Amino acid sequence: MPFLIEHISEAVLAMNVLVFLAACLLIVTAFLRRRGRTKYFHRIDALRRQYGPTISGVLDGKVEFGKGLGILAAMAGSDRVQVLELLLLEQKIDPSQLPIMRQLCQDLGLVDIWQEQLEASGGGKKSGESRATPNRIRGISGRFGYMIRASGANNLGIIRHQPSWPLLVRALGDVHPDVASVAARSLAAIGEPESFKPLLDCLYNVVLNTSSQVSLRSIKMALVSFPLEQATLLVPSLRHLHRRIRFLAVDMIREMVERRAAVNDEFVLAPPTFTPELSELFLTRLNDDENPDVRARAAPVIAYLADPRAAYALQTLLGDKEWFVRLHAARAFAKRKYESRAYFIASRLCDPQWMVREASAQTLLSFGRQGLSQLYDYALTTTDRYSKEQIADEIQRAGLIPELLAQYELDGKGKEFELLEQLADLGITSYILEAVEGSCGRNLRTRFLADFGRHPDLQIRTWVRGLASGNPISKLRHRATVARATAPQAERA
Amino acid sequence: MDWRQIFYHSMNMFNVFIVAYFFLVNGTYTWLMLLSLATTWIHARRLGYQGLDEIRESVVTPPATIVIPAWNEQDIVVNSVRSILKTDYPGLEVLVVDDGSTDETLQRLVDAFDLIKMDLTFRPRIATHAVRGFYANPNIPNLLVINKENGGKPDALNVGLSMCRTPYFCTLDTDCILERDALLRLMRPIIRSPINTVASGGIVRIMNGCEVRDGQVVRVGLPKTLLERFQVVEYLRSFLYGRTGWDALGGTLIMSGAFAVFHRESVIESGGFAQDTVTEDMDLIVQLHRWAASSGRKIKMVFTSDPVCWTECPSSLANLGRQRRRWQMGLCQTLWKNSEILFNRKYGLIGMISYPFQLYVEALGAVVEFLGYFMVPLALLFGMVPPTLYVLFVCLALLYGGFLSIGAVLLEDLTYRRYPRYRDLATLMLYAFLENIGYRQVILYYRFQGVARFLSGFRQWEKVIHVGAQE
Repeated sequence: MPFLIEHISEAVLAMNVLVFLAACLLIVTAFLRRRGRTKYFHRIDALRRQYGPTISGVLDGKVEFGKGLGILAAMAGSDRVQVLELLLLEQKIDPSQLPIMRQLCQDLGLVDIWQEQLEASGGGKKSGESRATPNRIRGISGRFGYMIRASGANNLGIIRHQPSWPLLVRALGDVHPDVASVAARSLAAIGEPESFKPLLDCLYNVVLNTSSQVSLRSIKMALVSFPLEQATLLVPSLRHLHRRIRFLAVDMIREMVERRAAVNDEFVLAPPTFTPELSELFLTRLNDDENPDVRARAAPVIAYLADPRAAYALQTLLGDKEWFVRLHAARAFAKRKYESRAYFIASRLCDPQWMVREASAQTLLSFGRQGLSQLYDYALTTTDRYSKEQIADEIQRAGLIPELLAQYELDGKGKEFELLEQLADLGITSYILEAVEGSCGRNLRTRFLADFGRHPDLQIRTWVRGLASGNPISKLRHRATVARATAPQAERA
Repeated sequence: MDWRQIFYHSMNMFNVFIVAYFFLVNGTYTWLMLLSLATTWIHARRLGYQGLDEIRESVVTPPATIVIPAWNEQDIVVNSVRSILKTDYPGLEVLVVDDGSTDETLQRLVDAFDLIKMDLTFRPRIATHAVRGFYANPNIPNLLVINKENGGKPDALNVGLSMCRTPYFCTLDTDCILERDALLRLMRPIIRSPINTVASGGIVRIMNGCEVRDGQVVRVGLPKTLLERFQVVEYLRSFLYGRTGWDALGGTLIMSGAFAVFHRESVIESGGFAQDTVTEDMDLIVQLHRWAASSGRKIKMVFTSDPVCWTECPSSLANLGRQRRRWQMGLCQTLWKNSEILFNRKYGLIGMISYPFQLYVEALGAVVEFLGYFMVPLALLFGMVPPTLYVLFVCLALLYGGFLSIGAVLLEDLTYRRYPRYRDLATLMLYAFLENIGYRQVILYYRFQGVARFLSGFRQWEKVIHVGAQE
């Protein structure tokens, strides 16, 4: 036993020493690393101060390109390439400065290096077409080489180096998903029309090959960044037998269209941006696709078509058997040119799915006065409680109650009064009372008290009680007291 | 055998068990540390080309909602919401759920954001306590405050979940400050993953001692008190190599509900936030694993160390005790509730490694370690362990604890370097070692209390008082 204990003691002592040394090693590593990084950042800051003005001068045109290039090319140091890369790519540049930046990177040899990095390995290259890899690149094709390849692809995308697109297309087949994703992003940034097709093939591969490591969203993000004119290349996908591919193609066109429409209020889809073939496909085939997702995503595109059949197609989708198709159709109608169709949209305010009701109400609100009138009319004529509640929700969230009250104050017993009465009957009075209390004029309060002072709604009752007991205006106090006294017995109780 | 022999024999057995436990636990932690050193270093290098701008600008990026449950947080809620509204994310919505606060939480929100009470329709997708009202400002369309009857944090989250309209939602505690691009970073693994990622968690760091301006941490520093500094080291260890390590292994079982993104429909389908435990975040992760296994879905849950959320740590022992007792009790409740997972092959690594580790090391470990502090000295007293060996073993335990914490500080410094000053680094190293003397034992006591409370059936949620970031 003592023999064993001694041995254990020795072992534990050895472990103590080992752990102590390991802890010391970690501490020393941390401080050495910190010192190294501090020195590195000081050096980078110094280089920034030294070369920053030259770089920004060249980009702004204040320093002659050749002179600036000479200064930058003369930079010394073993990490010259990394430093140049850092100093150049960290610049916030506008699109007009991009060609100068590209030229700088090209003339400094950075583009060649990035291309070599990208080409280094990764399975993107077919056998038999390998090029002699420079020595400095050879080392990066190991386990972590994908980071260098992805960086190379990223840098080429940042400067939008158009001639590199074939390399980037090849990188889409890289064994590591990082490289393929970054290559897709860079291709989108460059926007070379010919690269759209390979990207599309990559998307097919992701959809059809379940073992793909690349994310569908990454490829889709790249594809939708292309100009809408490229949508023609999606025609085969729109006709594809695979329902998911058809869906993705329609969805990508939708996103391209919405991106374009976001910067142009008057945007319509017409040739040459959108070919007649595509329009026909959307109006005759995709709006009737067996996949409801396709029909749903087709609706927003159809809404932008200049074709007169578009409105009818949308109307059909508005009556689709799937609720989310109706939802997308109701949202798609939210364009000025469909104001005359307000009636059809109003018909969906009684949809069994509340999201469709909500979308319909929002679309009507987007039409302005005409839509609002349609919405109010519908609210007053319908007997469906759910529709009424939905409309009330939208009126409140759009902040329309003060406007409604102002109109009521002017018109007296008009449509607005009826609507307020309906809201009170539904128990939706919080916002109304807050707006009445917050109104500047005494008239609104007096009129509201006269019309609704006897209403059984609990919040109104509390409000009237408050007025009756503590309002400084004696006339108002008196009226509130009368309203309280004459309120139906049950409510008073 | 007389009772003395039985006693000696039991003590010996226990001592052997303690030693084996010590090596098993520390061996696992060392392995996790090495694994996270590698993965965090790789992750930090990959960040250079991850393309946040693309995510920010793309129409493909799914919109998200930040759900903030608040209960009696009048001092911090306004600043918190102000800061969150500035989060850099396309199509962001913010839902604040006031869980029946008895203080001025709601009124302060109403005053600060000019909110108007609205009688909107509430369509619960999960059963919750009644909603009292909605507060919105038509000029801030992406903010909605919901006032409900008090039902606890999971109930408040379920109300938020029912009102959430975006495919993803982020749960965030009121005392947290998000870095501007934190949500973009948190969503990145979801966007970039080929597998359906239903949960993504980020790192929670301690805000105490940092300079906060305009709802953002502008200078990172260390807190002044010992207690807070120990927690800084502890959080680094827990997040940087605890969670990263488990994530690298594919065994994520815990994600901080203070800052995590979830896929809405998956959470609803799995049953929402359960109300029978006091750690709804861990419970949800386990529940999602069970839901995926039972429905045969291939899902992924990830932890990433670059999205940062700053939180306020307890600055008093009383508050710390409340927090840690709750964590430990919740851990026990969740593990007990989902005991079906234990060594169940259907759950893969989760069932075979993650769950047993959480059960035997994190939950029951508190009892073993706590008893060890009494039994081992007792063995020394009875002459069953030579004093030299005892001293050496205590030294080893302290050194090993220090070594692991120093590893976390090194990991931080190798990757994100949030504490820029040398003095801060040295302080962190010192505290990494010192936390094993005193602080660790205090935490162990609270954990032991948590287990005891679980066993006694105590279920109350202990509120940690927040004072808010000092701007």
